[in-house]
Amino acid sequence: MRHIRRSRPVRWTAAVLAALTLAGCGLGGAEDSGTPGPVGTGGEVKGKVSLQTWALKPKFTAYVEGVIAGFEKKHPGVEVEWLDQPGEGYSEKVLGQAAGGTLPDVVNLPPDFALPLVKQNLLLDIGKSDPAAAADYVKGGLDAYRFPGHDGTYGYPWYLNTDVNYWNGELLTRFGLDPKKPPTTLDELVRAARTVKEKSGGRTYLMSRKPNLVDLANAGVPVMSADGRTFTFNTPEAAAVLDTYRAAFAEGLLPEDVLTETYAGNTKLFASGTAAWTTAGANYITSLAVDNPTLAPKVVSSPAMGTPPLYVQGLSVPKNTRNPAAALALARWVTNAENQAAFARQTSIFPSTTASASDPFFGKSDGSNAGDAKVTAFRSLASARVLEPVQANDAVKTLINQQIALAVSGQTSSKEALDTAVARANQLLKD
Amino acid sequence: MTTPGRAPRAGERTVRYLLLLLVLLLTIGPFLWQLSTSLKGPDDDIWSRTPSFLPDAPTLANYAQVADTIPVWTYAANSLVVAGIAVAGNAVGATLAGFALARLRFRGARLAFGLFAATLVLPGEVTIVSQYVTVRSLGLTDTLLGVALPGAIGMLNVLLMYTAFRAVPPELDAAALVDGANAWQRLVHVGLPNVRGMLSVVVIFTFIAAWDDFLWPLIVLDDPGRYTLTVGLQYLDGTFSANPRLIAAGTMIAFLPVVAVFAALQRFFFKGVEEGAIKG
Repeated sequence: MRHIRRSRPVRWTAAVLAALTLAGCGLGGAEDSGTPGPVGTGGEVKGKVSLQTWALKPKFTAYVEGVIAGFEKKHPGVEVEWLDQPGEGYSEKVLGQAAGGTLPDVVNLPPDFALPLVKQNLLLDIGKSDPAAAADYVKGGLDAYRFPGHDGTYGYPWYLNTDVNYWNGELLTRFGLDPKKPPTTLDELVRAARTVKEKSGGRTYLMSRKPNLVDLANAGVPVMSADGRTFTFNTPEAAAVLDTYRAAFAEGLLPEDVLTETYAGNTKLFASGTAAWTTAGANYITSLAVDNPTLAPKVVSSPAMGTPPLYVQGLSVPKNTRNPAAALALARWVTNAENQAAFARQTSIFPSTTASASDPFFGKSDGSNAGDAKVTAFRSLASARVLEPVQANDAVKTLINQQIALAVSGQTSSKEALDTAVARANQLLKD
Repeated sequence: MTTPGRAPRAGERTVRYLLLLLVLLLTIGPFLWQLSTSLKGPDDDIWSRTPSFLPDAPTLANYAQVADTIPVWTYAANSLVVAGIAVAGNAVGATLAGFALARLRFRGARLAFGLFAATLVLPGEVTIVSQYVTVRSLGLTDTLLGVALPGAIGMLNVLLMYTAFRAVPPELDAAALVDGANAWQRLVHVGLPNVRGMLSVVVIFTFIAAWDDFLWPLIVLDDPGRYTLTVGLQYLDGTFSANPRLIAAGTMIAFLPVVAVFAALQRFFFKGVEEGAIKG
């Protein structure tokens, strides 16, 4: 399941990014007819304004159209054009629009997509254009759009999500584990994985992914320096996490192919019954009910181990928008408490507005396992943090993954792998 | 060891067929998997340890639902327009360019040929943004023409047609020249009848490339009403709403026209492939 969608072709992103860097100044600038100076919300909200969302059609067509109709009713004379982009290739699409100076007035950008545009100075600082907004949104959401080295807040937080643990209750029971008391730490997890391996004769796994930056962050490792310029995850604590995984891998507690970049993924292995544990967003059981209807009822959820990760979506406004007043008003409208609360009732996502934090709707389960997972996720949100820094783009993550795979497979020592990963990742950041 | 010409022994023949069967399975396995997924009912599991190819409750409802969920016919029509422009452009453009380079003598012919070949070295990734900026300055963003134009004359196709024209015996051309034929007449009466095979190769490859292209139309088009099929099908894979059965059914729908084009042209296609292989 994806809360934050990722496009697969990494080299594309890199190439388009490089081209954007080249084209950004000359071509992007050609489009704005007299760069609008410091923009205030003072202008009148009318005229045409475009809104770009990411893969919300067709399931949320009625919802988005309703939100737009409400906006047009509130501000007569304004006309919203809604563009919903397909899920695949969104990063390339946005970078292409940025290079061509054709970004819509309001764009749905997750923080990691916003960062390259902020670096090119293409997005509006809403902290300056709309100072009142800060009070309406939760801090974690706003923080996701503040980037070290760039002063300002570059997006209105929209919906939030986090990960919870999902367990295959049937398999746990069969192998003598209690689904009501699933492992809560890495050590407990490894112990339970050993039981599953022994009792299943090695046919079923509990753990089915290699560690990543989130696991390191959860072990208390500072992934990045405060100024966001260097990676710092080559600590003894991080090496200890890798050592634990290396021992587990050598013992056969993880499937052989988890070390490759292209393995099926732990949610797929979970869905096929090969693995008995996965982490995923609050809406996972609902989508599993479509994919594997016989498995979904057997799934049990529990809070994420350690600090839950926070995933944020948001709406940004490009600097060269022709209609800043309407764009800011629209972004604000789509992300207001009322509209977000209505969105969260359509699927298991959570509003980023402070007003919704006390909404009793989210704390109450309807009794189904999907409802329980939603409540678990909502409670986790209070302590959730963005664990994976936005500076860790696809290229950086690929090289970190490769080093981690080397360490887990035992080809290099954990310390050596982490040192190499940090050195190369820092090199990439500098380039 | 069996001598050439003699029928292989039964054992060896079995091994050959087994190997062929293995390769066949490897090639069409994923395709069969998609087909079987597209026929699975809502109660069938998609992911399982032991994949079952035969759905418990086979249904065609997924196909109907694809048409309900997205305007699949509009998308298909858009794709057809794009593929049509690309095929026409390549069939005409690559033929003319290939013939000129292979059979006409003019100043700078070698240079032109070298430039053509040189562009083959550039991968599409490198040029995509400058291509987009070009298309934008032509005012063709968000139009199907803008999608089709950059692929309307493929360098590789020019090269293929060049090779095909070169393979036509020069004596034929010389004879036509003696008879007083001009360049057009030599192209139409001598060249074209001998390169039909390669032409069909160009048509099929262009059609498939234009039909399957995803990233370029995605970048050029903004209005969802103008999306091509590959881009539009992505709506089946939405946030919080991805049904693998519908995605598989959509893939099957997109696949059918490719089969149709290939079936219609395959007679010439294999002739074209052989032309290139033997004489080129």
